[in-house]
Amino acid sequence: MSFFRYVLLNRAELLTSTVEHIGLVAVSSGLAILIGVPAGILLTRNPRLRAPVLGLANVVQTIPSLALFGFLIPIPFIGGIGARTAIIALVLYGMLPLIRNTYTGIASVDPAVREAARGMGMTDAQVLWIVELRLAAPVILAGIRIAVVLGVGIGTIAAAIGGGGLGEFIFRGVAMVNSAVILAGAVPAALLALIADGGLHLLERRLDWRR
Amino acid sequence: MNGMNGMTARRPEGGAAIHAVMPLCRYAVLALLAAGCGRSDAIIVGSKNFTESVLLGEIVAQQLARYDLPVKRKLFLGGTFVCHEAIKAGQIDVYVEYTGTAYSAILSLPATHDAVLVRQVVDSAYARRWQLVWTEPLGFNNTFAMLIRRRDALRLGIRTLSQAVPHARSWRPAFGYEFVERDDGYPGLLRTYGLAFAGRPAVMDLGLTYRALAEGRVDIIAGNSTDGQIAALDLFQLADDRGYFPPYEAAPVARTDLFTRFPAARAALAKLGGTITDQKMRQLNHQVDVLHRPAVEVAEEFLAAIPK
Repeated sequence: MSFFRYVLLNRAELLTSTVEHIGLVAVSSGLAILIGVPAGILLTRNPRLRAPVLGLANVVQTIPSLALFGFLIPIPFIGGIGARTAIIALVLYGMLPLIRNTYTGIASVDPAVREAARGMGMTDAQVLWIVELRLAAPVILAGIRIAVVLGVGIGTIAAAIGGGGLGEFIFRGVAMVNSAVILAGAVPAALLALIADGGLHLLERRLDWRR
Repeated sequence: MNGMNGMTARRPEGGAAIHAVMPLCRYAVLALLAAGCGRSDAIIVGSKNFTESVLLGEIVAQQLARYDLPVKRKLFLGGTFVCHEAIKAGQIDVYVEYTGTAYSAILSLPATHDAVLVRQVVDSAYARRWQLVWTEPLGFNNTFAMLIRRRDALRLGIRTLSQAVPHARSWRPAFGYEFVERDDGYPGLLRTYGLAFAGRPAVMDLGLTYRALAEGRVDIIAGNSTDGQIAALDLFQLADDRGYFPPYEAAPVARTDLFTRFPAARAALAKLGGTITDQKMRQLNHQVDVLHRPAVEVAEEFLAAIPK
């Protein structure tokens, strides 16, 4: 069966899976941003934490997804099988670009600018919100963009733990050795990644203070 | 995470799936043919590229060596079609195949549950079309296995799938993608036994279903009946008392001319008949997949325990 025929015949299921996939990526990216960006800010305030935290984020990145799922299954509350476990894994995989870019973005703010802000009588919180985060925004957003695009791609592994999404077609196609089915999952995932990348690129340009 | 590879090692491959990879296999075979040149005066033993097949190849090779026959090994030969093409072309003389795989994947016949019929059909088709002989079955059947935790089986006092039906309503199932997709998998199982579970199955990676079952996240899975993880995780295989799953009985397949070149080979292979039960094959796979022992060593130990 050709790819187009398969897509046409299974369009309802494909649409459901695409929506599931967007849901997985939206929730996991949202959580990853809520954790990763504050973590990156924290590292700029506590340089001693920098090496261990970035090291940990690096290590997480190298754990194969099936192995990570294997570790997560026995863990109470956050583990088990299904979408929740998949989201935990996706959040973990999204950490590195978020923490690193937030840290780098803030750390590379010109110290003279920071001094000037303090000289004007700004509090620490004001320096962070008004000066540092604003200047670091393009770099942080670039990190978010990487995390989201990666999330769309690795979101397909959710299907390995019963979490749904476009990966279901990919896994099913691999089990049946049917390329049409694999492509029915892979092509929409690739399109989603391109759309997410393009959308965030536009946002990045609008937020770029240099323009 | 020990043995994750073992858990995901696939059952003897299924029908429709194979046709898609045929063209690739042909190239692999051509490469193989180009690489190995000329007949030698040794028996060449082949195997597919997963643990069980390699172990069986090693057992066959060592058994032939016990009869003072000259042996060469060409193990890890890729999938079913590579082995099949290689033995047809005389690049290997013997390898262990599964009746169900030959029936559905090589002869392209629709799945059936009749083990005797399958064996008869592959016997005569192989002899007629390729002058290949199916020797004595080794004794085990590597088919789908419905698995539950052993403690559940003991608590409920059940041994078969029929006995499991009343309890299954409260069970959460998890299956691999292949089992859910195949004609001889999930849908037919429900029909045959009138089974119903608590909710739709979680469809996920086959290896992870073993872990999910052992950790109590689900209550029934479909594994492979000779998987080394069954013993390692203390699981119990519910007997397929209605004979639903197709037979995948393992037996060495040999070229007819092997027995004219080396008459002693026939007796050597026949002696292996019936020596490996499902239980035994699980133990052997467990040694390699979970305990990471070399296949050569595990095969040696196995042969030392059976009479020559």
